[in-house]
Amino acid sequence: MKNNITLILALLLAFAASAQQKGDVLIKNGTVLTITNGDLAETDVLIRDGKISKIGKGLKAPSGAKTIDATGMYVMPGIIDAHSHIALDAVNEATSPVTAEVFTGDAVDPLDVSIYRALAGGVTTSHAMHGSANAVGGQCETIKHRYGTVDPEALKMKGAPRTIKFALGENPTRVHGAGNNMVPRTRMGVEAVFRNSFSEAQEYMAAWNEYNVNKSKKGFKGAPPKYDLRLETLADILKGEIIIHCHSYRADEIYMLMQVCKDFGIKRLVFQHVNEGFKVAPELAEFGAGASVFADWWAYKFEVYYSTAYNATILSENGVVTSINSDSGELIRHLYHEAAKTQKYGGLTDKDALSMITINPAKQLGIEDRVGSIEEGKEGDIAIFNNHPLSIYAIPMYTIIDGVLQFDRQNDPDDMRIYVNPEEKIDVTFSQNDHTVDRCMQGTEFLFKN
Amino acid sequence: MKRLHNAVVWKLVIILFIGVLPLSLYGQDEKIAPVTGTYAITNVNITQAPGRTIQLGTVVVKDGMITAVGKTVSIPADAKIIKADSMYLYAGFIDGLSHVGVDMPKEEEDQDVDDPSNPPNDIAGIQPDRDVRGLLNPADKSVDDWRKLGFTAAHVVPEGRMLPGSGAIVLLSGDTPDEMVYRSGTSLFSQLRGASGIYPNTVIGVMAKYRDLYRNASYAKSYKQRYEQDGAGMERPVSDRVLEAFYPVIDKRIPVAFKAESVLDIQRVFILKNDLGFNLMLGEVKQGWDVIDKIKSANASVFLSLELPELKEEKEKDSTDTDEGDTKKELTAAEEEQQRLDARKKEMILNHYKQPALFTANGVKFGFSTLEAKSKDIKSNLSKMVENGLSEDAALTALTTAPAQLLGLSNTMGTVDAGKIANLVISDKPYFDEKSNVKMVFVDGKLFEYDDKPKKKKSDGEDIDPIGSWSYSTETPQGTTTGTLKITGEAGDYSGEMTNSQTGETTSISDIAISGTSMTYSFQINAGGNMLSISVSVTIDGETFDGTMTVGSYGSFPVEGERIPEQ
Repeated sequence: MKNNITLILALLLAFAASAQQKGDVLIKNGTVLTITNGDLAETDVLIRDGKISKIGKGLKAPSGAKTIDATGMYVMPGIIDAHSHIALDAVNEATSPVTAEVFTGDAVDPLDVSIYRALAGGVTTSHAMHGSANAVGGQCETIKHRYGTVDPEALKMKGAPRTIKFALGENPTRVHGAGNNMVPRTRMGVEAVFRNSFSEAQEYMAAWNEYNVNKSKKGFKGAPPKYDLRLETLADILKGEIIIHCHSYRADEIYMLMQVCKDFGIKRLVFQHVNEGFKVAPELAEFGAGASVFADWWAYKFEVYYSTAYNATILSENGVVTSINSDSGELIRHLYHEAAKTQKYGGLTDKDALSMITINPAKQLGIEDRVGSIEEGKEGDIAIFNNHPLSIYAIPMYTIIDGVLQFDRQNDPDDMRIYVNPEEKIDVTFSQNDHTVDRCMQGTEFLFKN
Repeated sequence: MKRLHNAVVWKLVIILFIGVLPLSLYGQDEKIAPVTGTYAITNVNITQAPGRTIQLGTVVVKDGMITAVGKTVSIPADAKIIKADSMYLYAGFIDGLSHVGVDMPKEEEDQDVDDPSNPPNDIAGIQPDRDVRGLLNPADKSVDDWRKLGFTAAHVVPEGRMLPGSGAIVLLSGDTPDEMVYRSGTSLFSQLRGASGIYPNTVIGVMAKYRDLYRNASYAKSYKQRYEQDGAGMERPVSDRVLEAFYPVIDKRIPVAFKAESVLDIQRVFILKNDLGFNLMLGEVKQGWDVIDKIKSANASVFLSLELPELKEEKEKDSTDTDEGDTKKELTAAEEEQQRLDARKKEMILNHYKQPALFTANGVKFGFSTLEAKSKDIKSNLSKMVENGLSEDAALTALTTAPAQLLGLSNTMGTVDAGKIANLVISDKPYFDEKSNVKMVFVDGKLFEYDDKPKKKKSDGEDIDPIGSWSYSTETPQGTTTGTLKITGEAGDYSGEMTNSQTGETTSISDIAISGTSMTYSFQINAGGNMLSISVSVTIDGETFDGTMTVGSYGSFPVEGERIPEQ
């Protein structure tokens, strides 16, 4: 037993040391699915100091670099999930229909073992989103799954664009309308909340501009406008500094938000879930909005009945940048299967199917110049599978972030928790079902008690 | 309860009999003033400060101050001599962050709010303008409980949510709140604790609101400065007590005292500190061992929690048992897993125990805080820390000189030196000896004596009887739930039901199990069509219990209760 403890500690220490590191690794002789530049048979990928430095044949490992023999294996870019709530201690600040000021980056939980589970599914980056309780939810954090640290900062993908969660339809109207008897009670109300919020933000910006122009003038007597972190954030959206990611299902509402954005000059917009996106695919393409969808999940509430598994294909074929997301600590472990469903439903090519979980979500998060494909100069985030990742027989073997091996199937201990609860009740026969709730609405349950 | 020295009482009786003093002055025993404010504590082992000791010396206390300390000092004629033969004397302990003596008004349950997105500040827990002085109660039981442990001074703060109010340094004696107060307005107490069901509810709401308030305060403050310089032609700044409470923090005259227990909360507080730039006092730290470097670079004053998780040692099997696999029964996979999980849990608990020693080894100065600790556990928790590598000198430092420095009290407290406030603790054995008892405590020159009370023997290991009715209350994100719990049946075959006072519903509870003083049970509730299993684990201590309630994957919440006396 002592040995076991020592082993676990040694592993944890090894992991702790790897946090935020940039590593060197040479992946030998795999089939490299670059996504942006075709498939390369029997090719090596060299990562130096966390970045892909060379793709080619017969590459030599620099001294100290780890070598992974990928003979017979498939090497793809680390999978990116554009919609997730793992590694968060708080998901919804569900007390107000507009909470642009809150930020999931404040609640990042590097101890969440879901991060390791995601790594075990080849996922290297996820979009740790605010929930969908509010019409204007909170700002989100794009994280890299550098598991094995207690430092939330180590997970944050520094330099990734700011994003914010919006929500349409039943969730915000249920939480605030039905739950608290306030606006928005209807879909019209949701639109009103957006328009009012942006109008206030315009006034706020104008007031501050006026103050800033005048404040250094001699004899200026004016008071600064009241600082408001919520309006500051909404103003940043108007300035194009924040990408809106909007929880949505129905086509009419999706169209509505595009109109609102046009009216306020907002260009960076991604729809999440978008189950009826197929109805407005040309409009989405024209606007330049992205769509991040489930492969085949629907009918969990009324507004999600009109759905089709062909959604991703239709959107994609219409020129919409489309990704497939998890919104779940379970689905995130097999996004490669989810992507493969677009081949069953719609017959997408391997490249297009894999783009749905790599370069496309990267574009939606504004990080496509850094991750999402295997290209020299990009960050060394790689997933290696024993079979083609779209095959039903695919098993993730290695997951690498910034050139650091984060998951190795051959060295995959049972207990990967970083901190355990010192007051936990240990009962190995105890089981609990984690998958009965819609994580998007986490923290709002109290509103629906009778 | 204050106890006067028996001899003092005796003297008073004599004085009263011979009629020297008018009777009216002493209408009540409670109000009897000591005959003299001068004491000489003789023949005592003095630890003036960690590492600075005098064997069998004398300490003279006069009118609230230490006037002489030494091997041979002259004893004033009016001194009452306390023969502390071979006892141990230390500077009175200082509690770095505490609710001792703070008597909070009962919180109204689930107050109705018109607009949950914009609730009144006091209901939202935004009360930085509140002063802990208005909440002090010198007669609160905790004051004597703490004093009995050797604490003589404390940095106290109100209870509450995100911004409960400003703190004060108090002495643990005095008849009125003002008599207790040594210094007020010492810190702005803050927590990452949101309001129940209203804004700001979650940690992300609290952090956003904190930034918003702080920055608003900065703007308001500089506008007010401008106005005060030359207000003619300027719009009059509106007074705002909430924002004004931040001014001394913005000026760096006082620190923010942030409660941050977990490794994540500590780092969240650092995020706020980096964003806003305040001076930081970190309190109730329970899991700081992995972030010592961050604590150092934040230049934060640190107070480690005196609450520790409990390590329940199993009947220790001889470790060779498992090695002789042939003769012993093979462990099942489940048993092996159980062992691994137990080992990790133990490791985690020991990390808590070893934390103070680790901080010392890393050169981080720290005191202790007791926002969460129960008085009955404090001394044994200190022993656990000492058993796990904290030297007794370092422990004493954390109780005396370190908090004095961190709180800016070194001139008057923290050591046994002439000129300092007479805050002293005297124990029959060295304080950190497991069997030591605090016999006397001086606070502000006033003597409090403690006799050994024969402890009520609790038969070890015997299961407690839970039968009867209990009131309970739990706190979840939905707010506080209260009700009653009724347990019937007999040992080994208990049954029970619980009622929820808010909904009026009655639910039967099952799996009631008693082991020693711990009770577990579970029940199910219907949450939007899903049956949700809730398990409860509490420890019964006499007529009260407390513990946690685990709600499926939603987390664990505190639950506490009290026996309802039979009619």
